[in-house]
Amino acid sequence: MPEKLKTGLAVLILFAALQNTGFGATEIRLLYIGSPDDASYLGARQGLNEANLQGQFLGQTYILDVRAPGAVPPAEALSGMAAVLATVNADRLPELAATAAGIPVFNLRADDDSLRAACIANLLHVIPSAAMRWDAVAQWQKINPGAQVTASAWHGDFMKYAGRDLNKRYRATSGQAMDEAAWAGWAAVKMTSDTVARLNDTRPAAVLTFLRHELRFDGQKGAEMSFRASGQLRQPLLIIKEGKIAGEAPVRGVADADDLDSLGNSDCPESK
Amino acid sequence: MIRTLVYGLSLLVLPALSQAAGTGRIFVTNEGSDTISVINGKTLEVEQALAIGKRPRGIGLSPDGRELYIAASEDNAIVVVDPGTLKVLRTFPAGSDPETFAVHPNGHIYISNEDDAKATVFDPADGRQIAEIPVGLEPEGVAISPDGSRVIVTSESTNMLHVIRVPEHDIVANILVGARPRAAVFTRDGTIAYATSEISGEVKKVDMRANKVVAVEKIADEKAKPKDVILSVDEKTLYVAAGRADAVMVLDAATLKIKAAIPVGKRVWGLARSRDGSRIYSTDGASNSVSAIDTARNEVIKTIAVGELPWGIVIDD
Repeated sequence: MPEKLKTGLAVLILFAALQNTGFGATEIRLLYIGSPDDASYLGARQGLNEANLQGQFLGQTYILDVRAPGAVPPAEALSGMAAVLATVNADRLPELAATAAGIPVFNLRADDDSLRAACIANLLHVIPSAAMRWDAVAQWQKINPGAQVTASAWHGDFMKYAGRDLNKRYRATSGQAMDEAAWAGWAAVKMTSDTVARLNDTRPAAVLTFLRHELRFDGQKGAEMSFRASGQLRQPLLIIKEGKIAGEAPVRGVADADDLDSLGNSDCPESK
Repeated sequence: MIRTLVYGLSLLVLPALSQAAGTGRIFVTNEGSDTISVINGKTLEVEQALAIGKRPRGIGLSPDGRELYIAASEDNAIVVVDPGTLKVLRTFPAGSDPETFAVHPNGHIYISNEDDAKATVFDPADGRQIAEIPVGLEPEGVAISPDGSRVIVTSESTNMLHVIRVPEHDIVANILVGARPRAAVFTRDGTIAYATSEISGEVKKVDMRANKVVAVEKIADEKAKPKDVILSVDEKTLYVAAGRADAVMVLDAATLKIKAAIPVGKRVWGLARSRDGSRIYSTDGASNSVSAIDTARNEVIKTIAVGELPWGIVIDD
């Protein structure tokens, strides 16, 4: 082969290789399964904006696909996804997780304790469990006997730490106050983008391993959050009385403020 | 012998010079009570409280010490005060929610605009905006290299140190760090920067030639939410405001290992060092006080009651 042709061919091959590996942005696909009318979807969109703001500095672009709830999608519909966000009923989650084996599936709605006790490897519960709410209320009632309160992952009036900033951003883009469902949607996307940024890897198995074992997430509630072996996100909760924030759990004076496992902890056998 | 003599003379002359240069006052922004506490640096007594704007946070001096700048966050403005007469000289708009800023050796002010995901550069002489640099979410800390060639802006919700080149005002590196990076400080030669991360509880050492993190220390006290960070005069020691640990941590700047923890007031945020290095001062946000620390003994020598939620602090010495 003449030398000139060889060089030309080499240049062509190199060019093709560069095109394939993409010197442009890396695309990260996320699938939201649920109604786009849910606050959790609006929260996920907020998370997407913020993931893409970070992504512009790292050459990463996030895309959020939507699929209606109902029948569990076939495995083909899940391939290529870095993570799945699910606003579906509790009874559908184990099947969805099984179909999405190896892909992180974020539970944004179901607070059933049985789902945590099931210890499903790729099911990550962003929404607090019923047991966590129960413990938060019980801690509060120890120092406020008879108080009729509930516990929530978020509230649109939350100002402390960086709660003010997130509430302000969300209200500006969605026109509404951020509630627990919206926070969960935001958090699921944000922790995925945190993971991809740090790993520089979009393979779902790598993302799942990092989420479960290495993630230290800033959910704008002043605490470092991580996942329990059960797949439940450790997090502080807000105590709500008559629609207003009355306090935070772990409740100071009853539990250590940093002891997030004082809220509804449950174990999983090592083998799982 | 001659060296000793010169050193002795310089000891005599330098304090006189620095007194001539500054008022000796310590200025503290009180975010909760919308005031500036003016503290006499000798007696450590509060002289007066100035009301100059809403939600005062960032505070700094011009390179010549003739002007005091205060970010009035809720007024979206920088207020310029004469540190001697304590009169407001002028006020200029400084973008949305100006929080922290640093003053460049050329006199320009580099501001983090928390609500807008950007940093802005102003000339305080005429209030003219010189540049606007998009950065990550919730930009917070601003640090400028002593030669003025690099500016670090931390973005708290994007977890990055954005390294900005001056005068081009473009970003040359985005360094991922632990969750909620708060503050940074350069060494005098500009080759190293130290940065704190509030939620991850870490202090990081960054090689600013390679733009790479070279050492990380997680502060063992899990209540530690590291905020402000400053260097000792000899640059061998780092002081870190440890938030809810209610202490100023003293770290070996080479190894990042903790040498001491100085108990101060609650939720310590801001730090300032006297020019000679003999004292550091902390703003103790939840105690409404400033702690004056003797750096030879690493002990609080006086707790000074100030306004509500003291935030920023600067010494005019």
